[in-house]
Amino acid sequence: MAGFLGRAGYFSRETWLNVRRNLTLTVAAILTVAVGVMLVGLGLMARSASANALGRWQGGVQFEIFLEPDIAGGQIDALGEELRNHPDIERIQFVTQDQAFALLEEMLVDEPELLAEVSVASLPPSYRVVPRIAEGEIIESLAAQFRQRPGVYSVETGRQQVDAIREWFNSFRWIVLLMSIVLAAASAMLIFNMIRVAMFARRREIEVMKLVGATNSFIRLPFILEGMLHGLAGGVVGAVAAGALRSHVEELFGRSEILAFFRSFTVTSGQFTTAIIATVLMGVVVGALGSAFAAGRFLDV
Amino acid sequence: MIRLDNVTKIYKGETHAVDGVTLNIEKGEFVFLVGESGSGKSTMLRLLTAEEPATEGDVHVAGKDLSRISKWRVPYLRRNIGSVFQDFKLLPQKTVYENVAFALEVIGRPKNIISTQVPAILELVGLSHKQKSFPNELSGGEQQRVSIARAFVNRPLILLADEPTGNLDPNTAQEIMRLLDRINRTGTTVVMATHDQTIVDQMRRRVIALRAGQVVRDEQQGVYA
Repeated sequence: MAGFLGRAGYFSRETWLNVRRNLTLTVAAILTVAVGVMLVGLGLMARSASANALGRWQGGVQFEIFLEPDIAGGQIDALGEELRNHPDIERIQFVTQDQAFALLEEMLVDEPELLAEVSVASLPPSYRVVPRIAEGEIIESLAAQFRQRPGVYSVETGRQQVDAIREWFNSFRWIVLLMSIVLAAASAMLIFNMIRVAMFARRREIEVMKLVGATNSFIRLPFILEGMLHGLAGGVVGAVAAGALRSHVEELFGRSEILAFFRSFTVTSGQFTTAIIATVLMGVVVGALGSAFAAGRFLDV
Repeated sequence: MIRLDNVTKIYKGETHAVDGVTLNIEKGEFVFLVGESGSGKSTMLRLLTAEEPATEGDVHVAGKDLSRISKWRVPYLRRNIGSVFQDFKLLPQKTVYENVAFALEVIGRPKNIISTQVPAILELVGLSHKQKSFPNELSGGEQQRVSIARAFVNRPLILLADEPTGNLDPNTAQEIMRLLDRINRTGTTVVMATHDQTIVDQMRRRVIALRAGQVVRDEQQGVYA
């Protein structure tokens, strides 16, 4: 145990010495790691946010069956019965003409002249349908089943909108992923070079170490720790930046009316923590890989 | 302790640095390797520390067949071999004490061992009073004594010295030889490559002469030429 503590002292001392020697390179590497992993963090958060938003819409009204305004009461009940008993349908809600008018009133609160054109009797009553499985295909096939029924005026699904948003977020995620891969590679290469410089600066020591029989892993460890330290520092900086950016963006969504649509794109604190931990870990892994390669190549004599 | 069986070392497919050498060095021997520059002395020492693999033949050191030894065992082999060089190879930013302690530290020796063995070996080489000095504050002879202390602090079975007196004046060289002789008397096998005729003639130990990588003379209690 005492031996291990003695070695721990040696490793921490040597690692710190290396960091101090290459301060500018160290800062460059840390910042590159930071930007790279920040993008990873943002990508992860965007993924959670889009999943959350889509989930919210899917958990809400999935499609709405609008009925002819002059539909007979018996037909309404028959259709309702059929929907309630349908195996693919979770629950339904009937929206009366009065309720539909109330909704319209709300939407057109700034445009009373438009509202004046509409009468309660001209509005279609509707069934809001929540399917058991919230998937576009299923919703679409359900909608198709009811579209041709007598008394049905139209069936509207949110599928197109949901799909468009999903697609937009997917491409955003791909771009972010690609950029973070490029930056991760750049950071790993920077760290690789830094460790090589550090090892070159200390080649005399390394020569002596090999001479007296230090094992390769013993010689490498301080350098690998150094790389991991850079990665860790970059990871922490990147995580902090991603966190700050997240709260800034959420505040922006909250304030701006134009961006109000994005309000449902929020990240839970659990998802945020996961993204942050993944971000920091990513930094450490990048640092470890870069330095391990460098240390391995330089020592292979 | 050291056995070479028909060993050849060829660099880049051309030069025969060592050419069909067979020899045997017993435990506790003191051996001079002599010969002109480029005769293969240094290559021979590098073969013994497994810095270079032999192109042909078998090299046995401290009971290990170096052609069969796996890479990760090489450091453990080197812990049985102390090495001393013409240019000392001391670390300039470390003190005398730290230079010697470093050799124990990097093979994972515990602190309490280091703090007893380092002063003891510095006492042996007569540098107890210079523990806190840096290499550039020492004379060449003192620096070489530090390097010998570093090579011997782990009590290796074998001490290899490549022209250890090459940079030193004759009196200082004598001091170093007395030190190596003392180390040899503790039972350590010493192999020393040298150009120093005076020293070889004076010590009257085994002399192995090399020319173009071949052993041309091997005498007990020999002289330089």
